[in-house]
Amino acid sequence: MTQKIIETFDLTKDYKLKNGKSITALNKVNISIKEGEIFGLLGPNGAGKTTLISILTTLLQPTSGYAIIDGYNLMKNPNQAKARISLMLESDMLYYRITGYDNLKFFCKIYGVSNYKEKINKIAKEFGLEKWLNQYVENFSTGMKMKLAFCRTLLLERSIIFLDEPTVGLDVNTVSFITKRIKDINKTVFLSSHNMNVIEKLCDRIAFINQGEILKIGTQEYIKNLMRKEINIDIEIPKNKNKLKSELEKHNFINNIVDKNNFLTISLKKRENFKDLFSILQNYEVTRFIERESSLEDLFLEII
Amino acid sequence: MFKRMINRQVIKNRLSKILALVEKNVKLKLRFKFALFISFITPIISILMPVIIFGQFFEFNPQFGPWNRNNFLIFTFIAYNINLLKGIIAEFPTQLRMEKFWKTLPALLIGPFNRYYLLFGIFFSHLVVISVPFIFFFVIGFIYYPISFFTVIAILGTFFLIALIFSGLGLIMGVFAISKENFWKFLSFILNLIFWASCITYPFEFFPGLIQDIINLNPLYYIFDFIRLIWIENNFIVTLTTHSLHFYILILLAIVIPLIGVYIFNKIYKKYGIVGY
Repeated sequence: MTQKIIETFDLTKDYKLKNGKSITALNKVNISIKEGEIFGLLGPNGAGKTTLISILTTLLQPTSGYAIIDGYNLMKNPNQAKARISLMLESDMLYYRITGYDNLKFFCKIYGVSNYKEKINKIAKEFGLEKWLNQYVENFSTGMKMKLAFCRTLLLERSIIFLDEPTVGLDVNTVSFITKRIKDINKTVFLSSHNMNVIEKLCDRIAFINQGEILKIGTQEYIKNLMRKEINIDIEIPKNKNKLKSELEKHNFINNIVDKNNFLTISLKKRENFKDLFSILQNYEVTRFIERESSLEDLFLEII
Repeated sequence: MFKRMINRQVIKNRLSKILALVEKNVKLKLRFKFALFISFITPIISILMPVIIFGQFFEFNPQFGPWNRNNFLIFTFIAYNINLLKGIIAEFPTQLRMEKFWKTLPALLIGPFNRYYLLFGIFFSHLVVISVPFIFFFVIGFIYYPISFFTVIAILGTFFLIALIFSGLGLIMGVFAISKENFWKFLSFILNLIFWASCITYPFEFFPGLIQDIINLNPLYYIFDFIRLIWIENNFIVTLTTHSLHFYILILLAIVIPLIGVYIFNKIYKKYGIVGY
């Protein structure tokens, strides 16, 4: 786990809009990913996650900058880079009008996978799809389609796997199954997701992206250290919530306030600040007060 | 480079990918068999009217250009087969739009896959799918107006080259269908005009002088005229020597159009990607 397998250098992508203006989807993105690493990309809708994955998988050309995949410049040697990657997008990318087996067989032939019959049967068994393999994909459930798409991604035997929102729309069991499988892949994985739990469980390193810019990047430990510095408190306050929020915002011992339904989530800088907080709260009708550990979601909401 | 091209393993690998595409496309087509059957019957409608008109016409005029009561059915049977092959042009946008809908195209394009596989995959799968009605009309034509074995080979070869030209056109239409839909419709309109002035279903001699002048500028007309002349003259060498321009146009288009198709596909796809999800 030493060699850098993916590197980007000032990767920028502009899209032209209908009115002739352009919008920057990626702005000078610089990341590097080591071999065997599971790298997570977190960001809201429209942050630039899919654009970055599309460029790194040769589907899009950047406006400027470049990327290196396993030593090959993506713009100059796309074929060499392609020989190392496989991709699973948010959609399942399957032919619905042919059977599951025919889908896997087709992609195996295109990607030159040897002994594909045995491999397909083996992986289908592992994924619990063996009974459905000879049915049309149009009859599969969403979870089964995603499992089949994931089977295809693994069958192609590439060293770098790009997964763009692989758990969207799936039930808890399927998410848990796919998460476990990703963990066991033993390859370099570039994963983008909205699902904080998945990212938190899987990724060695995490990057936060918003409006085309990488805001924070680091190991799980680094990210957790960022979070540990803060103390998060959820306060349920049915009345005068906005008044309390405005009052709290005036104090510099509070790092951040997130307003959610009847709750205010407050991040205190230090434990010593509890005293100051209580002195403010005594004037309000607080129905619940919960101190909890910071999650990735807290950091995400704070950063974005 | 040359060594690599003739490397047996490389050729085998490429053929295997094209065959995989053909197999997948044929299976997709056979999913709705009745729809497929309808697509075979539809071109018959386009030749019914000329058959009726010709039949009546030769009552009053026994010879019109090279066409007469004895050979006019060959004209229409060839028209049917050309129309079947012409389906390739529509097949590319249809298939690529299906790939767009299923988002399967990115999975192919990030793989060890080039656009020639796409071209030949759709090309051969269409030939497989239309083979039954194509052979049926070809055999009927042969029974009605027998030709030598050598002429049969020449005609099948010409049909093959025509299909290749249509594939190149189809690939151009296909990439615009997924990238620039407005321009695709505009191109479809232009292509319809070109085909209208190519004498697929009505002979050149039927048209007034001004239209004939326009038809004379249309390269497709020469190709379709060439294949009919090969059949009714039943001597390929004679047809080749007396209509060498027709032959040159056929060969030129069969090489240039697919190359242009792949070039435009690469350019447009890289520039615009898939638009309109």
